[in-house]
Amino acid sequence: MNAPAGSSRFTVLAGSAIGAILLGGMLFGFALLPIIQGRQAGIDAWTAFCRSLGIGPGTPAASSPADTAAPRPVSDVAWTGATLAALAGAAPAAPPEAAQQCASCHGEKGIAIDPAFPNLAGQSAAAIFKQLHDYRSGARAHDVMTPMAQGLAEEDLAPLAVHFASQPKGSLDVTARADRNLPVADLVFRGDPARGIPACQACHGARSGGPIETPTLSRQNEAYLADQLRRYASGERGNDIYGRMRGFAAKLTEDEIKRLAAFYAWTE
Amino acid sequence: MIASRRLVLAHLWTAFIAFAAACVLGAWQMWVRSPLRPPLATPENYFLSVTAHGSAMAYVLTTFFIMGFGYYVAETALGRPLPRPRIAWAAFWIAMLGTLLALGTVLSGRATVLYTFYPPMTGSAVYYVGLVLVVVGSWVWVGLMVEAMRRWKKAEPGRPVPLAMFATVANAIMWAWTTVGVAAELLFQVIPAALGLVQSVDVGLSRTLFSWTLHAIVYFWLFPAYIAFYTMAPAAAGGRLYSDTMGRLTFVLFLLYSLPVGMHHLFMDPEHSTGFKFLQMVLTAFVAVPTLLTVFTITASMEIAGRLAGGRGLFGWIGALPWHRPMVLATGLSFVMLFFGGGGGLVNMAYGMNAMVHNTSWVTAHFHLIFGGTVVIMYFAIAYAIWPSLTGREAGSFTRQRLQLWLWFIGMMVTTLPWHWLGLLGQWRRVALFDYTNPTIAPWAPWVIVSFVGGLILLVSALLFVANLAGRHVPALRALPPRYAQSHHEASHVPTALNGFGFWNAAVAVLMLAAYGWPIAQFFVEPSPGAIVHRVDR
Repeated sequence: MNAPAGSSRFTVLAGSAIGAILLGGMLFGFALLPIIQGRQAGIDAWTAFCRSLGIGPGTPAASSPADTAAPRPVSDVAWTGATLAALAGAAPAAPPEAAQQCASCHGEKGIAIDPAFPNLAGQSAAAIFKQLHDYRSGARAHDVMTPMAQGLAEEDLAPLAVHFASQPKGSLDVTARADRNLPVADLVFRGDPARGIPACQACHGARSGGPIETPTLSRQNEAYLADQLRRYASGERGNDIYGRMRGFAAKLTEDEIKRLAAFYAWTE
Repeated sequence: MIASRRLVLAHLWTAFIAFAAACVLGAWQMWVRSPLRPPLATPENYFLSVTAHGSAMAYVLTTFFIMGFGYYVAETALGRPLPRPRIAWAAFWIAMLGTLLALGTVLSGRATVLYTFYPPMTGSAVYYVGLVLVVVGSWVWVGLMVEAMRRWKKAEPGRPVPLAMFATVANAIMWAWTTVGVAAELLFQVIPAALGLVQSVDVGLSRTLFSWTLHAIVYFWLFPAYIAFYTMAPAAAGGRLYSDTMGRLTFVLFLLYSLPVGMHHLFMDPEHSTGFKFLQMVLTAFVAVPTLLTVFTITASMEIAGRLAGGRGLFGWIGALPWHRPMVLATGLSFVMLFFGGGGGLVNMAYGMNAMVHNTSWVTAHFHLIFGGTVVIMYFAIAYAIWPSLTGREAGSFTRQRLQLWLWFIGMMVTTLPWHWLGLLGQWRRVALFDYTNPTIAPWAPWVIVSFVGGLILLVSALLFVANLAGRHVPALRALPPRYAQSHHEASHVPTALNGFGFWNAAVAVLMLAAYGWPIAQFFVEPSPGAIVHRVDR
């Protein structure tokens, strides 16, 4: 097609306008504004220019005083790629040797012999790993578990966690099922915003929305669940990141603790 | 009737069925957020519903509507049969399969990640693969639109491409550019995570790649509305388009300035420097230019029509316009919503003011008013205008169509104006339940209830729309496609640059390199530790 008269002039004009807008934006964004504003914050022109490009640290303009207090993490677990890969792996064909020690309380197949102890069968591998790690580091304490976990090497933890996670959960005796009374179901599914309690299911639901270490609660032993809620509430147990569980549990009444424990113990 | 009517109808019905279902979810969501707790109002259900609503509205309604309308324009504006109709059908079925996979996964509760994904949250891979298939179907459509225009230009050397087709191809090319960002995010980051191949995701990079797509995708949705403004509304009003060149300029400016601007969605993000945010803000400001050109040109075109109909005086032409015609009414209502929605958008794009409305209901209000209001009401008008030429039947009267358009307008205003206000009061978006006993939150309650009522009005309008399309049993007297508006000054010659896209593609490449080159490269030059993949499907 023959170009109509003025075509190339239009193209040059359009190209110049686009270029001018781009260069103007860059001039202001990368040079003028950062340099002028940087001067007020005591930053030299070159530093200001580099910051505006994202080379070198940016804000805040003035460095804030460093916190000199020693950090006190509630847990030493770091979810590294290697740990996650180990936990995502297949269960070992034969139970790890260390599992024999666990079996005396938690059962050979992860079903606890006493309802005061937790079932491990079908628990999330990340949750078991975190608790073992915390017993080992002292973030969580228990007369029996602390020495047990400290007797394990760090590399023993993941195979143990994966082993018990791969066991099937215990069956539910429906005839013994407690009443699912409505107020507690409300707490489980909706929480109580007026008291700042989110829905338990927001993290502990079938499809977890919680942090990676969130345990599954269904078919867990009722006595164990109630006991842990009370320990969180009193602060005796404190290995929950950001104190989430301590905060929620402290707002529950004793009656609610009992009902919640019963709810999860008798729920699929 | 037109030759590819079955193809077009298949696309439009898919779009509108998804739309009506998503309207039901939308109204329920407003009910959940209000103090009037509905049944099943748990956070899990709420976020599942929001994901389904967003996916259906943003990916299904839009993509299918735009593809179907594009095929329609290619046949009617060019006056030639569509090239390769079998491939077009194959693309339809690919996109349909993708839709069923994606929505099925959401509804089964295995992909409650909201429609903008938010890695490191990770749902079932089936959801993402489904959406990729929808995009693959649309890429085929892009190729067909470009080929249709190329064939026409070969057959009609020297003649300007009809404006409706020029705009459709501008949109197709913009869409090809647009989808690069989200496709890279899905294929290289999100889907590998969903398949369990990687344990962490660099969320800075994924947010940046999504921002590449995030503004331009909205202009992809908006193009059909602007095509209707320029090529259908002036004719429906009985006048002429004031300027064909203005239309071409508008469409190429959308192509240019919808892409290198996405970082205005990341103003509050830490992974980018202030310089690039400022640059992209400047470029965003130029998106206002094509909108202002359009408001001027269409108002001038309407004035021509009003004066031809006998309107006198400074404003007398407004009353003389044929407001009983759905296309004219929809254009007027659309402009009112554009005024409010565009004003809110100017606040969003300003680096400083953005901080005040960030993550509040203000943002939700803005995009519902612009997309759900300004744009979707024109989808209705387009459907009403082209339906007789697709089905051979027409409505006995326009009354129910006008009622539906008015209800949509009223519903959208009643829903979104309170949202703007609630956003300024600090109400968060993406939150399921509020504690209305909290003294800070209690005053929001009446406004949330008002917007829930707006949602119900929108639902009634959506159902009426589907009924209006399904229930036309009067045989059409003339099942011809609507006439595209003639330009006041016939466009016999246009500059080469305004009759093709070579120059504009080069300009987009330069702008994208300047705006996104280093911001993306930095993630590879200096990789940051990734965020742990957080699965929501287990």
